[in-house]
Amino acid sequence: MSLLATALADVVGAAQVLARAATLQVYRSDALPGLRALPSLAVFPATRDELIDVIRVLATHAAPFVARGAGTGLSGGALADGITLVGLHRMRRILALDPVTRTATVEPGVVNATLTRAAAAHGLHYAPDPSSQAACTIGGNIAENAGGPHCLKYGVTLDHVVAAMVVLPDGEVVALDRGDDGGYDLLGAFVGSEGCFGVVVEVTVRLTPDPERIITLLADFTSVDTAAEATSQVIAAGIVPAALELMDAATIGAVESSVYAAGYPRDAAAVLLVEVDGAAAGVEADVVHLSGLLRDAGARGVRVAHDPADRARLWQGRKKAFGAMGRIAPHLVVQDAVVPRTRLAELLRTIEAIGARHGVRVCNVFHAGDGNLHPNIPCDTDDPAEADRVHAAMTEIMTACIAAGGSITGEHGVGIDKLAYMDALFTPATLDAMCRLRDVFDPTRRANPGKAVPVHACREWHAVPAARRVVA
Amino acid sequence: MVTPTRIDDLIDVVRAAASDARPLRIVGAGRWPEAGHPVQAETTVQCRALRGISHYTPGDLTLSCGAGTTLAELDDATRAHGQWCPLLPWGDDAGTVGATIATATSGPFAERLGRPRQLVLGLEAVDGRAQHIAPGGRVVKNVAGFDLTRLLTGSWGTLAVLTTLHLRLRARPAVDESWWIRDGEAATLQTFARGPHLPLAVHRTAGGSKGLDGDGWLVRLGGNRAAVESARAALRGCGTLEPVATEVWDRVRLIDAPPSRALTWPWTPLAHRVRAQFDPAGILNPGLLGEVA
Repeated sequence: MSLLATALADVVGAAQVLARAATLQVYRSDALPGLRALPSLAVFPATRDELIDVIRVLATHAAPFVARGAGTGLSGGALADGITLVGLHRMRRILALDPVTRTATVEPGVVNATLTRAAAAHGLHYAPDPSSQAACTIGGNIAENAGGPHCLKYGVTLDHVVAAMVVLPDGEVVALDRGDDGGYDLLGAFVGSEGCFGVVVEVTVRLTPDPERIITLLADFTSVDTAAEATSQVIAAGIVPAALELMDAATIGAVESSVYAAGYPRDAAAVLLVEVDGAAAGVEADVVHLSGLLRDAGARGVRVAHDPADRARLWQGRKKAFGAMGRIAPHLVVQDAVVPRTRLAELLRTIEAIGARHGVRVCNVFHAGDGNLHPNIPCDTDDPAEADRVHAAMTEIMTACIAAGGSITGEHGVGIDKLAYMDALFTPATLDAMCRLRDVFDPTRRANPGKAVPVHACREWHAVPAARRVVA
Repeated sequence: MVTPTRIDDLIDVVRAAASDARPLRIVGAGRWPEAGHPVQAETTVQCRALRGISHYTPGDLTLSCGAGTTLAELDDATRAHGQWCPLLPWGDDAGTVGATIATATSGPFAERLGRPRQLVLGLEAVDGRAQHIAPGGRVVKNVAGFDLTRLLTGSWGTLAVLTTLHLRLRARPAVDESWWIRDGEAATLQTFARGPHLPLAVHRTAGGSKGLDGDGWLVRLGGNRAAVESARAALRGCGTLEPVATEVWDRVRLIDAPPSRALTWPWTPLAHRVRAQFDPAGILNPGLLGEVA
């Protein structure tokens, strides 16, 4: 074992340090196919003190590291290429849950859906609900500022984080808050920093009261265009659905052929899944308004689900859509981009044309209410020619989204996967300012090095001692 | 006093000040109080001329405007489309959007309609190194890059001078009504505030300062007609309802503003490091936040 591995084993015990290539294989990718990198070491602290000591040992050895939750990320953000991976899944205690203040304090490895289950007894839930919520962790959600279907009404992770205790890469432990009583919003800067600013030790999040009434509508359309236009009309009408999701025919086909079949009409070109929630009287009025609006906008039919089992079935198809696409091809390249909502129909036409030109099939399943596209391409990334075509198509799609005034990621993060697009989205001065913000938290740039913001954009590259690569 | 009309002019002003280590006092409409710590600067940079709405697509519920645009101008432009940017901060609508965001000043509706940091999607600014930066964007969901938008929101012009804001708008509620409850009890009204009816605000008022006779509670309800009617029925259980005009909230915003958050700024080591990265010469609003080096 290397000196570093021995020092880490002194903190967490030898059983919680992996140093052999064979045992590290499982950590060589996250949920994004096509990108793989083997860490040199993996270490699994179980308590706050162990985590802090692990980070301090890494600091002493000037060793770069990557913090990892459940590895469900979709941008390659949790890959540790020849450096130490700090796995946080053992830190899974809910430390406090207060129904009066409607907050919970948790360790970073608590699974998103576990927190919601724990809050259910109090009529509360944790609102951000990424599709991976059954596996992804709160710590990972904070690193990525994760979203989910219900963020349309309830806001993304950032809107639900009240305070956090974090350990900076130099081992210093600091308490961050939102600056509501004065102070720079360092918590706001930390959330979504993709593991480049430090590691969450404990976090206090807001819990949201369960709505009195929830109703889910399924509207089906004979053209994707009409479905996208209907989305814009719902938003413009001033209704704020809890969620507004669009699935195209390719997605519907995959879902309906799978064990997640939700009863979506197979002959539809697109369906919209619209959910409204809140106090009963207002919700029922919204449903009447929405049903009329969707029909006027060209929906062939509108199904209204009141019953929890019926609603759960409609949602299962949406939440498991990525999994269902496994029926089409061995890999699924999941993309994430955002466009102004009035330009959804136009961008979907552009994406279809790009896919056709490159001979790839694009399956769209996304958060239409936010303009947050997920053009996914089922493919075999082990076939180099196909991988090249997919890459070319994705690059064109991202370029089109940027040209439409959009962004390259709404909720998955930049990670490694989207670094190449950052120069097209931001000016050199802006990227340099992002590097300076990173330097506030991690001046030696050892936390998740090379992710989120391209290194070449950092103008004042300090005379940092070369990060030592530890060979196990 | 300098009043730049273009971002390039502002960059020149900041660059010159940074090279001479000459402090600048940054103001919007110049209506903001000194927040307890007067800025010692010979030059005041007034951002009022960086104004106007540069981009507004009502269907997107987003709007971009110059930092010097007043809240009243913003309200007029969006009202025509049945929308608003529900900042509605403490103070009045003659203040600028830039000052509201720079100070992260919220108001009585923040809990329900969003705080400044939830309503700013992106911005442009000139930092203390005279760098023109443009983080975030005009779309409503965006996690590309480190969040300079959040950092600058509420930084009181001590890291950068805001020039342009990209804002999230919301549809105005179809029905919007306000009620005065003279005989309300705190416990029942707080329960109502936390309950399923999601009032826009439940606000305790003291005395006749608002033309209302004595102490009591002001409640604002908003939503579709059925939602407001059921909320009103529930509210009747909290006391006797007397209707009040919506304009009452303008007076509440003027009179009931809480003390300035700038007075209690925590100058932690991280806060000093932030300042050093974005304003190394210490020229932007020095002293405003009571910092000691």
